Amino acid sequence: MAQIAKVKFVWRIVDVVVGGIFIYAGAIKALDPVRFASDIDNYKILPWTISVRLAFYLPWLEIFCGIALITRRLCLGGLSILTALVCVFTVATIAAKIRGLDITCGCFGHASKNWNFSTHLGLDLVLFGLVIFLLCACVRNFTASER
Amino acid sequence: MRTRIFAFTLSIFLCAIARAELKWEQTAVELHPTAGDKEAVGHFKYQNTGSQPVRFKSVHTSCGCTVAQSQKEEVPPGEKGEITATFKIGDRTGTQVKNVTVETDDPDHATTVLTLKAVIPQELEINPTFVFWGQGEALKSKSIVVRASKDFPVKQLKVTSSSPDFQTKVEQTGNGQFKIDIQPRETSRAIAAKLLIQPEDSPKVFYATASVTNAPAIQ
Amino acid sequence: MRQALVLAALALLPAIGQAIYFRDKVSWQSPIPASEMVTVAQARAWDGNVIWVDARPDAEFERDHVPDAVPLNEDRWNELLPQFLATWSPEKRVVVYCSSQSCNASREVARRLREEAQLRNVFVLQGGWEEWLKSRK
Repeated sequence: MAQIAKVKFVWRIVDVVVGGIFIYAGAIKALDPVRFASDIDNYKILPWTISVRLAFYLPWLEIFCGIALITRRLCLGGLSILTALVCVFTVATIAAKIRGLDITCGCFGHASKNWNFSTHLGLDLVLFGLVIFLLCACVRNFTASER
Repeated sequence: MRTRIFAFTLSIFLCAIARAELKWEQTAVELHPTAGDKEAVGHFKYQNTGSQPVRFKSVHTSCGCTVAQSQKEEVPPGEKGEITATFKIGDRTGTQVKNVTVETDDPDHATTVLTLKAVIPQELEINPTFVFWGQGEALKSKSIVVRASKDFPVKQLKVTSSSPDFQTKVEQTGNGQFKIDIQPRETSRAIAAKLLIQPEDSPKVFYATASVTNAPAIQ
Repeated sequence: MRQALVLAALALLPAIGQAIYFRDKVSWQSPIPASEMVTVAQARAWDGNVIWVDARPDAEFERDHVPDAVPLNEDRWNELLPQFLATWSPEKRVVVYCSSQSCNASREVARRLREEAQLRNVFVLQGGWEEWLKSRK
């Protein structure tokens, strides 16, 4: 029992840390949506009219998903969205690198402007791994509670 | 037969471990030229720590204002040397960063970029350096603010106009700051003047420009 | 799925609020153009309303330059700036160029014209002197 409690406690810490990371990442981008819009535009995947609207929406989506994770309310939905977001960011970062584009943004908006490609990709992959783990754990708990 | 195999293996081994390697003492140099310096010189020292000589294929700079020279074309093993980068300051201001790209025949470090950063001291900050009136514009004076750097305190400022068509008045506004009011005698024709701004007790002269342009005033 | 939709809808509220707040500060239809760069074709289209500024070292200017270009480089900024300003007027567009050898020079000269002399309509020629030469052929 003590062992289970310990494991649950560790997962709780991971929940809070990952949730906190996404709240921070979202807040950084929400503070300067205009700059974030040009960062999205730098990937040259979406037209500007969509990039600029996403720049206002995505940071808030990240923040709410981070809160969902920490409060454990709607966490399955939150983790699904975060998994999709990290996946898309990672693929876009790799695609930009292959196309030789000079991008400055990964998950952390302009706070990460001095990071190189390896750092961006590394962090994206670590975050992806963490959200996948949390998602699987959450799905297991969710299906167990449904039964 | 065995001896031949041994000799062959040994020669392969020796070729593998024999290599050139140029080690740089530093690849970034920061210089602080004093006011009045015409050039800033950076020295990039190196040593060949390998067992093969290193040959410089090319040394070129990122701009025409910097000239880089290598002391030697080929560096024998164990030898030291340096690349000298001379940056012509001219009338440049602020922090200037210039790169020197060095290409060698060392396959592990074929290209090295050396960075020369020169922090040029700015005694006076003049803002703006250009004031103008359109033709027919109201005869109102315009101001230029001059701020003395903390490292170069200025008590008094002397301003001279190269043309009597412009009148100037200097006012000390405190904290090492001065305001220069400039007014043209007329705005009905195109006239221009170079304003010479000289801190008291300093031979250095700074410049601003005033003019009445050909075009009418923009409303 | 339902949870994700709820979160997506919740995030929409502050996003719309922020977009309304920023509505006048953002270009919704097209990205802010890299306002400093201009192509040879664009600069030529401005025709008589352009002052060409050559930011290269003196020797390169002497060898060849854009017709009617004014030399203005950082080696002799204090001496050359008044000469350039004598040809300038507010309705003109300034196009600064340099060569690939000194490719940062045009940006620096343009920056100083905007910040120190507070001139508007200062542009940098994309591709520099080499691009001009190509267009001449």
